[in-house]
Amino acid sequence: MFHTKKPSTMNSHDRPMCVQGDSGLVLTTDPKPRLRWTVELHERFVDAVAQLGGPDKATPKTIMRVMGVKGLTLYHLKSHLQKFRLGKQPHKDFNDHSIKDGSALDLQRSSASSSGMMSRSMNEMQMEVQRRLHEQLEVQRHLQLRTEAQGKYIQSLLEKACQTLAGDQNLASVSYKGMGNHGISDMGGMKEFGTLNFPAFQDLNIYGGDQLDLQHNMDRPSLDGFMPNNDNICLGKKRPSPYGGSGKSPLIWSDDLRLQDLGSGPACLEPHDDPFKGDQIQMAPPSMDRGTDLDSMSDMYEIKPSHQGDALDEKKFEASAKLKRPSPRRAERMSPMINTGGMPQGRNSPFG
Amino acid sequence: MAMAIDGTEFELDFSSYSSTTTTTTTTTTTATPTTSTENDRGCNWNDWSPMVDWEALSGAHDDFQDLIDSMMDDGALMNQGIRLTPDTSNSMSTSDTLLVDEETSCSDDLKGLRLVHLLMAAAEALTGLNKNRDLARVILVRLKELVSPNDGTNMERLAAHFTDALQGLLEGSGSIRGHKHLSAITNGPYHHHHRDDPPHHQSDVLAAFQLLQDMSPYVKFGHFTANQAILEAVADDRRIHIVDYDIMEGIQWSSLMQALVTRKDGPPTPHLRITALSRGGNGRRSIGTVQETGRRLLAFAASIGQPFSFHQCRLDSDETFRPSALKLVRGEALVMNCMLQLPHFSYRAPGSVTSFLSGAKTLNPRLIAMVEEEVGPVGDGGFVSRFMDSLHHYSAFYDSLEAGFPMQGRARALVERVFLGPRIAGSLARIYRARGEEGCPWAEWLAVVGFQPIKISFANHCQAKLLLGLFNDGYRVEELASNRLVLGWKSRRLLSASIWTSPSDPYL
Repeated sequence: MFHTKKPSTMNSHDRPMCVQGDSGLVLTTDPKPRLRWTVELHERFVDAVAQLGGPDKATPKTIMRVMGVKGLTLYHLKSHLQKFRLGKQPHKDFNDHSIKDGSALDLQRSSASSSGMMSRSMNEMQMEVQRRLHEQLEVQRHLQLRTEAQGKYIQSLLEKACQTLAGDQNLASVSYKGMGNHGISDMGGMKEFGTLNFPAFQDLNIYGGDQLDLQHNMDRPSLDGFMPNNDNICLGKKRPSPYGGSGKSPLIWSDDLRLQDLGSGPACLEPHDDPFKGDQIQMAPPSMDRGTDLDSMSDMYEIKPSHQGDALDEKKFEASAKLKRPSPRRAERMSPMINTGGMPQGRNSPFG
Repeated sequence: MAMAIDGTEFELDFSSYSSTTTTTTTTTTTATPTTSTENDRGCNWNDWSPMVDWEALSGAHDDFQDLIDSMMDDGALMNQGIRLTPDTSNSMSTSDTLLVDEETSCSDDLKGLRLVHLLMAAAEALTGLNKNRDLARVILVRLKELVSPNDGTNMERLAAHFTDALQGLLEGSGSIRGHKHLSAITNGPYHHHHRDDPPHHQSDVLAAFQLLQDMSPYVKFGHFTANQAILEAVADDRRIHIVDYDIMEGIQWSSLMQALVTRKDGPPTPHLRITALSRGGNGRRSIGTVQETGRRLLAFAASIGQPFSFHQCRLDSDETFRPSALKLVRGEALVMNCMLQLPHFSYRAPGSVTSFLSGAKTLNPRLIAMVEEEVGPVGDGGFVSRFMDSLHHYSAFYDSLEAGFPMQGRARALVERVFLGPRIAGSLARIYRARGEEGCPWAEWLAVVGFQPIKISFANHCQAKLLLGLFNDGYRVEELASNRLVLGWKSRRLLSASIWTSPSDPYL
């Protein structure tokens, strides 16, 4: 079947020095004639390999038999199969390959005979994957910014409500210094905003052990009346990762980008996790450290109190944890709002 | 209605303090794959000295009358010393509680199963073929002895809210003022006065909302998915006008503004105009009024340098939307935003939503963003099957909260009490009143009426996945249609976000 097909000239990288032999194979006119693996030939190869149960099961001999292409030697098949097998595995210098002819990326580089590119469609898919990776990183960055913006907004909302509830203007102005009328500084000035950290709420431990908030110079005594009985709400000293009972590390979080979910990966590109992973992990922290706004926002997100002993495992992940936990602190800030009056203590309390 | 409740499939949550795996399982009655680890853990209680003789209490009861009797008899036993609610903030007592929980987790399974049986029995008694209000009353009394909305396991707290809701139906339908009472229940958490429950204290509402935001991705999912679609649709526009059906506190727009301010392609920082629909008298807001939201948004916009203006558009007294009441400006890209049924939202009557969406058709918006609850298959559509579906739905919800925050039972109980409990009551009341009539999802309505779907972009889908990645593994996002993303917990779909545009033929 293959014999009857003309070799395609689809490849834009057809070198003029190729000739078509009688068997339909395309050979170069180098001093040492080499077989050119055209798209169709390669597809045929892949089919044969698949028939034989995969690149590990197939042997050059069996492939040759299955393909039934005249002029194809064991030697050709051996080297091609080797490259094919390699192509199915993570390849470290994947990204280092220079782009040939302007648009092709070699999937594998081996010292064996050059085969140009495996196939154009594979390259396209590969580029698609790369493009998607970039896009995904963009999305990640945007998600972080948006979450922060939302967090900032919610904070202003809560503070306003808190002011209303406290009903004491003086208190408000002392507590939330630098807030101005609406208490929203612009992004650049968020440092102030960030450090305020809504201290009132921190005393009540939704997430942590007992806390005495020592970091904010606000008028604490006057808020004491506002703070409900701490005892009721504390829910345990140990603070596991709020975002996952399994306590995912933010570095592992990068893995969750789950490239294979992109749905565009061709079979041989599936194991791209490895070459990309390294990039992701490297890139993530720098992007998060970028800009003053992010740094100031980090104040809101850091696990501040030093006495939260065992929660500090996560402190070292702070840098990359910024996206990860936008709000455990805010929950703490919420606590004084929780009216213990509304929470019956015992199970046998009157229902309803 | 035949619902197979297989004891082995039915597992209960218990607080996990082990670092091995996420141990939450759904407390629902549909098949969920159980892991051997769960069972192992559950049965380890044998190693501990049991506080009660559980052997005496186990065993299936097919006849629910017997079940009731058995509950009556051994209820005294079951109430003994099982639950140690932490009265102090001391972490020691918390871990004690957890120890006890593990010890009793096997019994928890049984107990949870019993609760489901009882609930189902009550639902049947209330509406089934052999309607028997007295029986229902008895069952509910029994249930109330067993559960509390504030402590216990997920299943117990959930059962408490369902019991409460059923109680409301029982009372509501029996009294002369039944109709009024039902409508009170269905009108949302903020003026929902159910029996002796006081309206929620403002601070509770705030706290609960904050916790909901932190502990779960539901709100963010809805907001961000809609926002991303909006951003993409208006990428080249200089003026944007968003009509928001239910703006609540306006949180959704903070992140949109941020994105607009920093957008790279297209005209920089377009002017944003938001018109919020406001309701008349009974629209008691959660945190302030629409005006306050407007002021807040204006301040926020000013702080980040976003050109912004804010308008209100009053709905009629019956909450009907009239497109003519809207002020439109030539050359602006019109977006209709419809967030329904986010966990902290009030109920909105279908008539009102219909008027909004129908009005949207005449306005020819660039984009319509619709976020709504995803309802399960309702079987024969009868009350009991929908009741069970609702139970399944909310138990998935509870589980999802617990999975992320297994230790923070009180915080979760607060969220449940403030938001979910009233929703359960309202939802059941609606099901009760409307049984047999099935409302279809709004996404379906939009499709039928002629709106065109807009594909969810790769970036949007990716954002959703990343967002969920920040929370627990159990969350998943599915693309059920080219224009629809659905957020779910484990096998249960919970929230759906879909994107539409006006029909291509304006005369459609």
